[in-house]
Amino acid sequence: MTAPGFQGAGWRRMAVDYAGLLAVLAGLTAVFALTADNFLTMQTFRMMANQIPPAIILAAGMTYVLVIGGIDLSVGSLLALSGAALGVAMVQWGWPLFPAMLLCLGVGVACGLANGLVSSLWALPSFIVTLGMLEAARGGAYLATNSQTMYIGASIERVSETHLLGFSVPFLVALGVVAAGQIMLRHTVFGRYMMAIGANEEVVRLSGVNPRPIKVAVFVLCGLHAGLAAVIQCSRLGSADPNAGAGVELQAIAAAVIGGTSLMGGRGSVVRSFFGVLVISVLAVGLAQIGAQEPTKRLITGLVIVAAVIFDLYREKLGRRAA
Amino acid sequence: MTVPRSFGVFFAAAALALAGCSGGDPAAPAAPAQAAPAAKTAKEGPYKIALVMKSLANEFFLTMENGARAHQQAHASEYELLANGIKDEQDVARQIDLVEQMVAQGVDALVIAPADSKALVGACKRALDAGVVVINIDNKFDAGVLEERGIKIPFVGPDNRKGAKLAADHLAAALPPGAPVAVLEGIPSAFNGIQRKLGFDDSIQEKGLTLVTSQSASWEMEKANQVAASILTEHPEIQALLCANDNMALGAAAAVRTAGRAGQVKIIGFDGITAVRDMIREGQILCTVDQHADKLAEFGIDYALQVLRGEATPADKETAVDLVTAETVAAP
Repeated sequence: MTAPGFQGAGWRRMAVDYAGLLAVLAGLTAVFALTADNFLTMQTFRMMANQIPPAIILAAGMTYVLVIGGIDLSVGSLLALSGAALGVAMVQWGWPLFPAMLLCLGVGVACGLANGLVSSLWALPSFIVTLGMLEAARGGAYLATNSQTMYIGASIERVSETHLLGFSVPFLVALGVVAAGQIMLRHTVFGRYMMAIGANEEVVRLSGVNPRPIKVAVFVLCGLHAGLAAVIQCSRLGSADPNAGAGVELQAIAAAVIGGTSLMGGRGSVVRSFFGVLVISVLAVGLAQIGAQEPTKRLITGLVIVAAVIFDLYREKLGRRAA
Repeated sequence: MTVPRSFGVFFAAAALALAGCSGGDPAAPAAPAQAAPAAKTAKEGPYKIALVMKSLANEFFLTMENGARAHQQAHASEYELLANGIKDEQDVARQIDLVEQMVAQGVDALVIAPADSKALVGACKRALDAGVVVINIDNKFDAGVLEERGIKIPFVGPDNRKGAKLAADHLAAALPPGAPVAVLEGIPSAFNGIQRKLGFDDSIQEKGLTLVTSQSASWEMEKANQVAASILTEHPEIQALLCANDNMALGAAAAVRTAGRAGQVKIIGFDGITAVRDMIREGQILCTVDQHADKLAEFGIDYALQVLRGEATPADKETAVDLVTAETVAAP
C-alpha cells in the first residue's frame, strides 16, 4: 500500500474504474439537456442535491450488507419506523429536535441489531430475517402513527434548510457518509474483514477471526443509515409518513448493483453506489421534466438500469484488455 | 391455480352459508336463501355484516373502519360487524379471498370498497348468488363489467369528479384568468383517480386555466415531492398544483417550500386528512375535499340494513362532498 507510485496508479485506476458510470451519467444528462428546457440549470442541480441524500445514505448502508454477502430488505420499513418515532416524539411528546433525532437513529440501530443478531445467532439467511423485519417494522410504523401522516412543521424543516458553503446540510452529510464509507471499506481492518467475509466466510473463520460480531455490526450500521435517512426525509417533507420508503430497498439494491457491487458478496464500492444513485435520480428527474407518462417512466427506468450494468461490464472487460 | 382453489372456497362458502342459515334460525324458511333475490326477502335481525376495505395502512380507510365500529356499537342489537382490510391498495387477489371468506362466514350483507373496479365483480357476483346483499362504497364498480355479468350492485358514495371540480373551482377563483397549472394524478388505473382528474379538467376548461403538464405520483408523498420539484424546475411559470389526494398535496407543498416559492404556488388536495387540515390552517395548502370517510362505511351499512329489512330496493345513492378551506377548517 505504501509502495512508491501508488498514489499515481491509484488515481489512474480510479479514473478507469469510474469511467463507465460517468459515461452513462453524461449520456443521460446530454439526452435530457436536449429534450427538456430547463434540465441543465443550477436549479435542477440544487433540486437533486436536495432530493437524493436519503437515497445515497440508504445505498451506502446497503452496499456494506451486500459486501458481506447479505441483503437487507427492511431498510424502507426501518426508514418509516424511525421517522414515525421522530414524528411521535416531536408532535405528541413535545420533544425538542435533538433528542428526537437521537431516538430516530436509535430505533434504526435497534432494528439493525435485531436483524444482525437473529440472522447470526440462528445462522438464518438475512433475506428471510430482514423480510420479517420489513413486515414487522412497517406494522410498527402504522401503530406508532395510528396510520396517519404526522405533520411536524418548521421545527424539523430547519434541518434541511440549513446551508453551509451553498450546500444543504443533508447533502453534505450524505457526501460525508460516502467518503467515510469508502475509507472504511478500503483502508480499515474492519472493512477488509467485511470484504473477506463476503468472499469466503469459512476462510475468515479458519484464520482465527470470528465473523459473527462483524456481521452484526454491519446490520447495525445499515440500520443506523436507515435512521439517518429518515431524519433527512422527514425534514425535507416536514412530516413523518408511515407509508414512507415503500420499495426503496429495491432502489438501494439497484443503485449498489449499477455501481458494480456483487450480490454474492466480496465486492463493492460506496463511491460507485453513489454514482448508481445519481443514474437513477437523473433518470427520475429528467423523465419528470420532459413530462413522460407513468408507464413510459417505469419502462425506461427498468431498461436503463439493466443497460447501465451491461455497459459497465463491457467497460470493465475493455479496461482489463488494455491493462 | 387460483381459479379452482377459489371455486372450492366458494362452494364451501355457499354450503356453510346455507348450513348457517337453517341451523342458526329454526324459524327460517327451508328454501335455499339464494333462490329469491335478496332485496325482496325481509330477513330477521340481528344481521351479520361484513365490511371489506382497501388498505388499512391508509388513514382514510382507518377512519372509515373506526366510523363503522362506532356505528356498530351504537346499534349493537341490530347487527354484528366483521371489518377487514388488505395490506396494500393493489392486493386485489387478497381482497377476493376476503370476500369469499366472508361469504363462508355466512354474512347477510357485504359492504365493499373494491381495490379494483373490475376484478372484484366476479367475487361479488358469487356473493350475490349465495344470497348476500352487496353494497359498493368508495370506489365504484365498472358499469360495463356489471352489465356484462348481468348484475346490479348499488353504489353508496361520493362523486369524486364533482368533489375535484369543487376544489379546482375554489382554486380558479384565487388565480388570474389563464394561469398555468399542473396536475398530480393518482395511480393511472384507479377509477377514483381518473374521476378526480376529470373533475380538475372540467374546472380548468370551464374557468379558462392553462394545463401545462399532468403526471402521476402514484398517490405517494415522496413521489409527489420529486415530481412536483421537477415540474417547478421545468415550468417555473406554474401558479398552482392540483393534487388528486392529500398525501401528494403534502409532498407538493414541501417541494414548493424548498423551491422558495411558498405562497406563490397554490396547492389543492383531496381527502381531508389531519396533516393537510393543519397546513390549510397555516396557509400552505389552499383547500381540500372532505368526502366524510368516517361516514362512508356507515352510509353503506345503514343502506345494507334497510335492504335486509326490506325497506329499500337497491339503487345508487350519492353522499356529500364538502370543500375544506381556511374559512371552514375547524380549530385543532
